Amino acid sequence: MDRPLGVPKAEFLDSVRRALDRKPAAPDPAYPRLLDDVSALQVEAKRIRARLIETRPALLDRFAEVAEAGGWNVHRTSDPENAMAHIQSVADSLGVKNAVRSDQEVFAQILVDAPLESTGISVTTVSHSPDRSRESLRSSIIAADIGLTGADYAVAETGSVIIMPRKGLSRLVSVVPPVHLALVRPEDLVESLDDLFLLRRLEYHDKGGEMGSYLNFITGPSRTADIEQTLVVGVHGPKEVHLVLLG
Amino acid sequence: MADIKTKDFSKASAVSILDPQLRRALRQVGTGFDAARRAAIDEVSPKLWDEWREEARRIKIHSLDHLDYYLDLLEQNVTKAGGHVHFAKDAAQANDIMAELVRTRNIKIATKSKSMVSEELSLNPALEAQGVDVYETDLGEYIIQLAEETPFHLVAPALHKTKEQVAQLFTDKLGIPYNDDINALAAAARLALREKFLQADLGISGANFLVAETGTLVIITNEGNGRLSTSAPRIHVGITGMEKVIPSLQDLAVFLRLLPRSATGQRITSYVSMITGPRRADDEDGPEEFHLIIVDNGRSKMLADPDLREALYCIRCGACLNICPVYQKVGGHAYGWVYPGPIGAIVTPSLVGLKEAQDLPQASSLCGACREVCPVNINIPRMLLHLRQKSAESPDPSERSAGLVPNLLAEGYTRVMRSPALLSASHKLGRWQQNVWAAMPFFPFSKKGGMIRKASLPLLSRWTRMRDLPELPKETFRDIWKKDLKEGP
Repeated sequence: MDRPLGVPKAEFLDSVRRALDRKPAAPDPAYPRLLDDVSALQVEAKRIRARLIETRPALLDRFAEVAEAGGWNVHRTSDPENAMAHIQSVADSLGVKNAVRSDQEVFAQILVDAPLESTGISVTTVSHSPDRSRESLRSSIIAADIGLTGADYAVAETGSVIIMPRKGLSRLVSVVPPVHLALVRPEDLVESLDDLFLLRRLEYHDKGGEMGSYLNFITGPSRTADIEQTLVVGVHGPKEVHLVLLG
Repeated sequence: MADIKTKDFSKASAVSILDPQLRRALRQVGTGFDAARRAAIDEVSPKLWDEWREEARRIKIHSLDHLDYYLDLLEQNVTKAGGHVHFAKDAAQANDIMAELVRTRNIKIATKSKSMVSEELSLNPALEAQGVDVYETDLGEYIIQLAEETPFHLVAPALHKTKEQVAQLFTDKLGIPYNDDINALAAAARLALREKFLQADLGISGANFLVAETGTLVIITNEGNGRLSTSAPRIHVGITGMEKVIPSLQDLAVFLRLLPRSATGQRITSYVSMITGPRRADDEDGPEEFHLIIVDNGRSKMLADPDLREALYCIRCGACLNICPVYQKVGGHAYGWVYPGPIGAIVTPSLVGLKEAQDLPQASSLCGACREVCPVNINIPRMLLHLRQKSAESPDPSERSAGLVPNLLAEGYTRVMRSPALLSASHKLGRWQQNVWAAMPFFPFSKKGGMIRKASLPLLSRWTRMRDLPELPKETFRDIWKKDLKEGP
């Protein structure tokens, strides 16, 4: 059943127009942030990318500082072996038996499966296929002690890791297990929310209006202050979050 | 719609004021939330903060002035992404849409992340009537659902409960051993709700923002319940007021800066989730269906009134509650409906009718603090005055806040204050009466240092119940002016 329920759209919009005393028309002048075409966005995106490369060292410092303040346990290294050793030590200290990870590019750079498995940890890559149903992958995620992901973006302004779930990148890997570990590459980093949303707008229009079903900002652990305004870490999401910054 | 108890405002306030536990909880909103908000603003610099506020306000003005256009664009883009948009003119229709969705899809269990609109609609009873078990999953909302209460605060719904009360509630309702450690209480809620997330057929969320350009629903959360509710069940329904739409993805940045800082003093919340349609064919997980219910329920009346349209710019951060001297005394429940505090005193009468809530716009000292802290610079005091004026001038006596006698007194007062002759005559009359009283063997009222002591005057007792009233001086300023000052020293 796909037909809309409630009042028909035309009727609803008419009542809004009556309230505004307006005729059906686009805003005049057009809204600047909707006006620019793909080529204008491309010019702006190019400018942003050039700036990000130029300022990268300072940006990495800023991101590490803000992420730490936001509740991430940040480990910085540009050495893949050191990164792997750190991941191993986190897993050991938690007594991890089951790990799940997404299927992202960064895991071609940091090969986590073999070392973790050699210490007796079972590692599941969450990516469905004819042999592996979504249901069985979901059970692996529920059973996991840690979830490992990369980042699609990272925002220095807020210390956030941005994840855009799709094939190979589950929504649940970073929220269901009690611990989340994210690997962030220098090229994932943008300076501000403005950078992020402009780049996303360009990608959206480049793909003919495809946003992807989900985009999630993750900044530190799950938290609440709903009882007596007292901070508690780890309510429904991970209690502990680690960020390995590869640069 | 949710039960409306706004007529009991005065009575409920009087009860709240005398509750020592509420006093303690409410004192914390100033020291906790508002102090955190101020620190966050100092960190970004007050000048930049004001620029952000102006930008946010411009976006809201434009969006609301062209709301029909952006709702249309939003609907097209949600549909393009594979989602379904339903429009509801009122609470009954919104609940009917939800009922139809759960009936046709055989929904048994639903988890819900925090949504003020669903409180406004009384959505949970409507779902329960369809045989659906609905679980609130925000910790504060979960507590008040178990306690069968309404939210006490926009951001912290269970602010009024002590940890001991929550522990007792969990023991009674969940059958777990009593433990009033706050970490243990959060862990108990995690355990109880985790299985519900995984069993649920339906996840319900509100929306903080809707992006027309991309057809995206944005929710801003800290606990992770919003992520789970919108990821684990096979259907996700977003339900929200029609005023939440903004034009472009780029407009979102400034609101992500303003809302968390204003609400809790955070630079950003733990999670911001942006949802565009259902899961795509290749996605690993996510709901198979995405529905968005857009609700009017009185908002078009606010839109049509140029004096009230501004209230629709509100992003529900709760900063005006935390700073308000009235909210800090009476708390959230006295306001009698879903939206408390200064913004509630405007939204509530506008949505439920002035007839039901004529006392709420009076519940303000007009000190203006709410406007100063508002991240969208909403002129709340102006709208409170506007509603007071509407109430006072209404031809319908049931919309008026004051009864006949206070109205006549106010009318008399106005006349006297407008006429120097009448004012002077009234002073003479007052002093004459004071002299008569003074000549009596026993002064009929308790007096001290030129003040008539509180609770000793008949007639004016409402005024003097809580404070002393000065006696009329022997001479007026005009007398002194004429006699001593006119010629200069």
